Amino acid sequence: MVKNITIFTTNTCAYCVMVKKYLDAKAHQYDVVNLDEQPHRQAEALQLSGSLTVPVTVVTKHDDSKEVVVGYNLAKLAPALA
Amino acid sequence: MSDADKTVHDVIIVGAGPAALTAAIYTTREDIGTVLVERGVPGGLAAVTDRIDNYPGFSEGIEGLTLASELQKQAERFGAVIEFGEVTNIHDEGEHKRLETTSGDMYAKTVLIATGSDYKKLGIPGEQEYYARGVHYCATCDGAFYRDKRLVVVGGGNSAVQEAIFLTRFTTHIDLLVRSTIKASDVLQHDLQKLVDAGKITVHLNTTTDEIIGDPEHLVTKVVGTKDGVKTDFETDGVFVFVGLDPNSQFIKDTCIKCDEIGFIMTDEHMQTTMPGVFAAGDIRSGATMQIASAAGEGATAALKLREYLEARPHPVQN
Repeated sequence: MVKNITIFTTNTCAYCVMVKKYLDAKAHQYDVVNLDEQPHRQAEALQLSGSLTVPVTVVTKHDDSKEVVVGYNLAKLAPALA
Repeated sequence: MSDADKTVHDVIIVGAGPAALTAAIYTTREDIGTVLVERGVPGGLAAVTDRIDNYPGFSEGIEGLTLASELQKQAERFGAVIEFGEVTNIHDEGEHKRLETTSGDMYAKTVLIATGSDYKKLGIPGEQEYYARGVHYCATCDGAFYRDKRLVVVGGGNSAVQEAIFLTRFTTHIDLLVRSTIKASDVLQHDLQKLVDAGKITVHLNTTTDEIIGDPEHLVTKVVGTKDGVKTDFETDGVFVFVGLDPNSQFIKDTCIKCDEIGFIMTDEHMQTTMPGVFAAGDIRSGATMQIASAAGEGATAALKLREYLEARPHPVQN
């Protein structure tokens, strides 16, 4: 079960829009961390994903375990939301 | 599955970039049932391009993401359906085509392949190892990580210069490594020169990109190139690569659809491929000009030609 979802995005990232559309279509609520507006959180995104890229979607489960999905990758995102 | 159980679409469009979406606008306006199958982002490479200044109708230019979104909305307004998945093969089964996809088989009377292309890789040491940890192919996605840092951009065409210009909003300095000479449009070269004069970009002509090197934390620290025959180090925090395009045609390699030596699909003047009833348009087509305006035009042409094909079919499939 999903406790919360956070997406790291930027203003110009097309793949971020796709992830948000997918979550909207599945009626998931999520928080957005816009790295253009909050550049001080870039290190956090890097630490979580191991990558200097967005979107990074962090799915926190009810047991506080986290699944991190890098990019617009439905093959990983869909099971992470299950 | 029996014929009675399966839905045979009038047309399945593989891809949802500008050629595909334009074709869908034309087909759906003529009540030709149209499904697009997209594995990534509607709009394709146009959607991840910062700004598009040469697409007609937008006197001040338009953001790539906005253009893609508007194209999608326009196609959907007339009834186009976009499904997300990946087509992995196409079979000609006479009355219809069977498309293997990651979501199962799909059937269509005609198919339009408009899968476009992706940015080509350099194929040098370090490129794969540091992918997304300093090596990137999408400035609009990853540029924000290089605020107040140095970058190398590789390439001398429109994409490389356009994206280098975009990246200057973040970086302190960009080394633009160009294998031969700048081939970007005059307008882009003019904009580039202003940034060169301002000290934001240094252009290195006749410079190959040989190796990407990182630190123990596995982040990029420098690029080794050869400039005028001399090995040269370029200290950097990241590399963005825009050195041409590779066709997204791997999924038809086992079909009778003929490609050129690079992998772009060959068509006749009607956009018809060597598999009857299968058309191709946009960047995936051999001889395409790799321009969004051209892709849209090819999409419109393909739509009209596949309509003619549908009308000429001797034994229409009953849905």
